[in-house]
Amino acid sequence: MDLCFMYNLTDLDYDIVEPCSFQNNNQVERFVWLYIHSFIAILGFVGNSLVIVTYAFYKRTKSMTDVYLLNVAVADLLFVAALPLIVYNELTSWSMGPVACKVLRGCYSVNLYSDLLLLACISADRYVAIVQARRSFRLRSLPYSRVICVIVWTFAILLSVPTFYFYSWYEPLHARDDVHQWNGTSRSPQYVCEFRFYNDTVAWITKVTVPSTQLAVGFFLPLLVMTFCYTAVIVTLQRARNFQRHKALRVVLAVVVVFVLCHLPYNITLLYHTVNMFEQQECEASDALQVGKTVTQTLAYLHCCLDPVLYAFVGVKFRNHFRRIVQDLWCLGKRYISPRRFSRVTSEVYVSTRRSVDCSSENGSSFTM
Amino acid sequence: MVSVKAAVMVITVLTLCLWVTRTSAAHRECCLRYMKKKLPFFVIKGYSVQDKREMCPINAIIFHTRKGKTCTDPKLNWVMHYVNLLRNKAQIVHTEAQSNNGSFFSSS
Repeated sequence: MDLCFMYNLTDLDYDIVEPCSFQNNNQVERFVWLYIHSFIAILGFVGNSLVIVTYAFYKRTKSMTDVYLLNVAVADLLFVAALPLIVYNELTSWSMGPVACKVLRGCYSVNLYSDLLLLACISADRYVAIVQARRSFRLRSLPYSRVICVIVWTFAILLSVPTFYFYSWYEPLHARDDVHQWNGTSRSPQYVCEFRFYNDTVAWITKVTVPSTQLAVGFFLPLLVMTFCYTAVIVTLQRARNFQRHKALRVVLAVVVVFVLCHLPYNITLLYHTVNMFEQQECEASDALQVGKTVTQTLAYLHCCLDPVLYAFVGVKFRNHFRRIVQDLWCLGKRYISPRRFSRVTSEVYVSTRRSVDCSSENGSSFTM
Repeated sequence: MVSVKAAVMVITVLTLCLWVTRTSAAHRECCLRYMKKKLPFFVIKGYSVQDKREMCPINAIIFHTRKGKTCTDPKLNWVMHYVNLLRNKAQIVHTEAQSNNGSFFSSS
């Protein structure tokens, strides 16, 4: 009794250090997930679908660049398809279960790597085409580019193996104990889809290696390749006397600037987070860092909506193809709609003449390959 | 027009999801640092374990006190001593319950 009393006098003002619940980040995350990610998903879906459809229907002879652009569009499309599912699961404590957890996290990682490595390949391709123009016939063949794409995807999958393997669907130990001990009422289990390991060494290595690889292969390597290739391209273009020089320069600069603006902030945050991960931290500081990560990550995601504009729609050839698709669809629509609309007024002759007038470009190839 | 409609629909659906799943984010909690002073034992109601092999960055014993949860360092002797005391307490209750099995206590 005495002991208890003593405690009461001296230690009643004990200061507790509560677990950090990242309240600011939770709010920001909810807003970003619901409104900005859905915006990115819709925009990215529309843009990249248009690219894929254009290539699927209208590209008979594909160049090396086309193969890369198509692969970037596929990677981006898979990414924006996974994004709403990830958001849905994060909001419903991963209600889609363990398989969805591994597939979605893995899918995200594969597409991240393949996307950024393909952008590096595109810069290398342009370097060969413009700077090493003499060798470009040998190096820029179609089978060659397909092999490179296969290598890129394989590499991306290999780099994502730790993600596939270590992301697990589980109830965290400390949340599980909460349910049993705290309030007798049974709460629905709160699952997460996060890393889980079997021993401390593997945990430490993976928690450091995965973000480090992402920084190295997913940012610095493409940045290095792009910087080198596009600098050489710019130098060569400066020497050339071509009337399209300025446009090409602007495109190159836009590509590099957008890449850096989208990916640099997130990667700096990721680097800072990785370096300080295992140290004791104040909740407020860590919460602020998480907010920073959420915001900069969204900026990085935005890149996959900009890819179609920066790489595909900027090209004159691609725009011509696209215009033809729209034109043909327009004609197709008319073919089915106009007979109904004008059926009372005129006969088949009217429809057929109209088609031959409006859609005359269907047979003639009005663009150059 | 179609894309605007689709956007509005998706946002509405997602917002509905948000309303439906207004859960407490307790599972997202992590201890990031430890309390410095020793805790008086009598304020502790229970404990839980945070394992760094899971989502959180450090190991911790989370004591549930009258004021709320508090993070402590499992490397410290007093922390593990408290955990053992709590275990012993639980064990005693368990044994008592077993020895009383079949008597009038179990009828409830």
